[in-house]
Amino acid sequence: MTQVPEQARGVIALDPVACTSCMICVRECPDWCIEIDSHTEEVTEPGARRPRFVAVLDRFAIDWGLCMYCGICVEVCPFDALFWSPEHDYPASEPGGLVQETQRLADWLPSVPQR
Amino acid sequence: MSVYAVADAPGIRVHVADLGMACCAVEFAAALGRGLLVEAPDDGEPSARVLVVSGTVTDVLAPSVLAAWEALPAPKAAMSFGACSNTGGPYWDSYSVTKGVDQVIPVHSYVPGCPPRPEALIDAIVELAASA
Repeated sequence: MTQVPEQARGVIALDPVACTSCMICVRECPDWCIEIDSHTEEVTEPGARRPRFVAVLDRFAIDWGLCMYCGICVEVCPFDALFWSPEHDYPASEPGGLVQETQRLADWLPSVPQR
Repeated sequence: MSVYAVADAPGIRVHVADLGMACCAVEFAAALGRGLLVEAPDDGEPSARVLVVSGTVTDVLAPSVLAAWEALPAPKAAMSFGACSNTGGPYWDSYSVTKGVDQVIPVHSYVPGCPPRPEALIDAIVELAASA
């Protein structure tokens, strides 16, 4: 693979642990290329007065065929769950092959430049 | 149509028909300008014949894209270069833009980006030549 500058906007990596499924990126995306599925779970902690409800991320997918790499999702994420990575070598051979799911997006994380 | 060699992979010679419809075509020119693709003499069978559709395909222009594809002698492959030709990209809600050039011609490689880097073009060409 050809080397590119490390600040290049090649792909967006996801940190699924940091993501709170707040949907801000989904709503801000001009192309509507991000999809999030989530559900809430009741967490009862011993000694707590009442149970808490936490959002659990089920699915985070980006359609790179649609994405215009504007970076608005990276900018608006309040929980620092999205990062630019310079990786650019991921052409697809079938329609729909450019939709990448949670794990694939998380796999880009190690290629994110040191922050 | 011109014959190009990939600078990093000397064995690969590709016939490329660049159908530059919009700004992504500039990245194709950048690949040439930076020497990632170099013009090669037209002698013998190429490793692959590739139609590179780079840029926004409108419904009005779709028949011309089909004609360009049909004019290309086999064996051939089509590359959709950039978000607009992949899915319509930023024009996903437009009345006049074809939502993906794969509605018109068979596409063998979808290159993501808006625009994709010239390096992504090289990677896709190498992949197409390997599978041809």
